[in-house]
Amino acid sequence: MATEGTLVNIQEHSQEDYRYLASLEELKKTGQLTRWIEDHDVLLYEYEGQIKAISNICRHFGGPVGYHKHKDGVFTCLWHNWRFSCKDGSCLSHPALPLRQYALKIVDDKIYVDLLG
Amino acid sequence: MKRHTLTAQFRAEMDCPKEVVMWNYYDHEHLVGTHYKYYNGTRVLAERDDWSLVVRSKRMPLLPFYTSGIGFQYMDGNTMKSFHQDQLGFILEMEAFFEDMPNDRCSVTVTYRIKALPIFKLFDSYFKKLFKGWFWATWEEDAPMRLRRWKVHNLGFKDFSGIEYVNKKLPKPEPIQPGKYEFVPPVRKSSPIRTPDGIERPFTTSVELGYADN
Repeated sequence: MATEGTLVNIQEHSQEDYRYLASLEELKKTGQLTRWIEDHDVLLYEYEGQIKAISNICRHFGGPVGYHKHKDGVFTCLWHNWRFSCKDGSCLSHPALPLRQYALKIVDDKIYVDLLG
Repeated sequence: MKRHTLTAQFRAEMDCPKEVVMWNYYDHEHLVGTHYKYYNGTRVLAERDDWSLVVRSKRMPLLPFYTSGIGFQYMDGNTMKSFHQDQLGFILEMEAFFEDMPNDRCSVTVTYRIKALPIFKLFDSYFKKLFKGWFWATWEEDAPMRLRRWKVHNLGFKDFSGIEYVNKKLPKPEPIQPGKYEFVPPVRKSSPIRTPDGIERPFTTSVELGYADN
């Protein structure tokens, strides 16, 4: 798997922004997982050779965007079937309501998410 | 002729206020989302304030076929009442009574009734088994939806917007004061009502990865 963004030494940056999310091994099992990290519900996935993370909270009613495994490059929220692009979290059902993207860093096969980035 | 009433009643509790569960019961559009395994279509024919007239197509556990029918539902205080007539002509009456409990918990008591010819007394036990399966199958799918809805509410979630600190990449504010959860029917729609075809489930099978761990 390749990574999106630049790999940097996490020690060089403020560690307050980054939180451990998952290991590469965990992600490889299904290619997609969701996890609550400090009141952020993060959807981590691999798409077209890149690792990406977006908010797992549908902006409609708060449903879980990553409940279903993505299909044909699209996430479909469980609750009311709002659809989101795997490419960038843009909302295909209501374009004005995209999902927030998270910056990631991978250090020693561990994936960290920037809750402010 | 005096008719026999097939009856089944179930009670369960949730770790959220009753208004969250009322929202869930009243919401039509989640039928082809959350309950996509059972519902393959729903259409709102008309609605106003706290009543609605809908068409639904579903397959219940233990039954090998889909039935569609028209239903009317309305809120009567802390009770949601619905009447659903299927293709066989039976009218299913459902009452869901919502009651608050201490510590942001609530209980729901659901009663199903069908009036039928006296001979249907023979089907009492089957009716109870059928609706027991239905109640718990849908309960298990709805329960995490309600708990998550309550959780995001407490993080400041706003409908058709989201959580501000998430969307704007801000530090989470402390404390968050979301206020009381309000349920004011009808549930805001993402699709227009009275569409010719209503809404259908987008797929019949899925690789389910589930809800995030808390």
